[in-house]
Amino acid sequence: MDVDFVRKVEALSDTSVRRCFQCGKCSAGCPMATFMEHPPNRVVRLLQLGQWQRILAGRSIWYCASCETCSTRCPNKVHLASIMDALRKLSWDAEGPSKESYVQLANKLFLQNIRTYGRQYEMRLAAVFNVKSGQFLKDMMLGPKLFAKGKLKMFHSKNKNLAEIEKIFSRIEDMRKKGEAL
Amino acid sequence: MSDLKYAYYPGCSLHASAGEYDLSTRELFKKLDIGLTEIPDWFCCGATPAHNVDELLSLSLCAKNLELADAVEGDVAVACASCFSRLKFTQHILEENPAKRKQVEQAIDAPVKLDGKVKHLLEILAKDLGLEKLAASVNKPLAGLKVACYYGCLLTRPTDVPNLDCPEAPTIMERVIEAAGAETVAWSHRLECCGANFTLSRPGVVIQLTNAILDSAKAAGADCIMVGCPLCHGNLDIRQKEIEGVYQTSYNLPVFYLTQLVGLSVGLGADKLGLDAMIVNPTPLLKEKQLL
Repeated sequence: MDVDFVRKVEALSDTSVRRCFQCGKCSAGCPMATFMEHPPNRVVRLLQLGQWQRILAGRSIWYCASCETCSTRCPNKVHLASIMDALRKLSWDAEGPSKESYVQLANKLFLQNIRTYGRQYEMRLAAVFNVKSGQFLKDMMLGPKLFAKGKLKMFHSKNKNLAEIEKIFSRIEDMRKKGEAL
Repeated sequence: MSDLKYAYYPGCSLHASAGEYDLSTRELFKKLDIGLTEIPDWFCCGATPAHNVDELLSLSLCAKNLELADAVEGDVAVACASCFSRLKFTQHILEENPAKRKQVEQAIDAPVKLDGKVKHLLEILAKDLGLEKLAASVNKPLAGLKVACYYGCLLTRPTDVPNLDCPEAPTIMERVIEAAGAETVAWSHRLECCGANFTLSRPGVVIQLTNAILDSAKAAGADCIMVGCPLCHGNLDIRQKEIEGVYQTSYNLPVFYLTQLVGLSVGLGADKLGLDAMIVNPTPLLKEKQLL
């Protein structure tokens, strides 16, 4: 059993996987459980059993909406939403063995936008997502309506301090290369 | 001018798809004599995608924004529930976890500033200004308007972080809009998730979750929905027509930002509230209630 992986999850999420006694309250309140092959309580159980490869191979972690209902209701203060973050990060670092690619693509483009522009430009994000995911016509009907209402902007004001954002990204990369951060 | 002054963090959506939230916030604060200065050159907070796959990046982006906010006088005023949640989470985590704090300080190459207070607009209206003063500013009470207050996920959850109100039975939105003279309805889905994070990647999920919210508000007899988050608004308003098509039903529920409804009650005109930017047209409802 690979205890190292579970320890990494606990360190990143600052919460104990072992404290869960499987009451199932997290899954009962989870708005996304219906879309998952392993509902939230089972994700924790699989971690307890060291069967994390089964979690990473599936789509459950990518279908978590980060709504924090599980963390709010857990009687044992297991911060499950943070455990989900940790699992996604470790899966992401391992170049995503998961079957769910759209959510990962959207996340990747979102972060690239921050690095390049400092802020999120919604129209660019949506357009690039459609091209890269091969769904050229997705939400096409919404486009003209949003334009007419001024909700899609072609041009944005640019941050004067863009160099600082690049520095943050590259410092974090450096820290990881040197093993100073997970 | 009153003593209330804030460093304004609008967030990315308010500069694009939620332009009417930005406009109505600025106009409302001007009307209520509350100072609001936008933080120069703020960055994206990273929202859900950043903390979902890279917590250190998420914390660093927010810590950088808190540093930028520190240069502007006053507590930080946040309009978006997601930005609000991320900034509060960052303060909470960096206070509790010295190891993470050290990493973030290395990433932003500066000491983190945790003493500034981060407040959602609701908090400013309900607590800093106070409901009595707010009610005293109302000159056009929203009489007869039945409002379903929609909190969504991040205004109140989890228990220890946003500290805006009770995570399971909050009342702050109801109290604010009742001070503006409206009626509120009791309904089942005010704290349920709309699936905002999937609006790009998995719109089918959003349609299912958001339909349940609209359905619940309608069943409770609401005339309209009030939100304090541009992402909730995007799903409830922009996708409403599409949802009606998928489920072969009709909701016709205008979705207002809290600043639009409160703004209306203190006498601001439609042009100052960006009502024309709403996808579900609110004009027939407001005319029927004699509010326009």
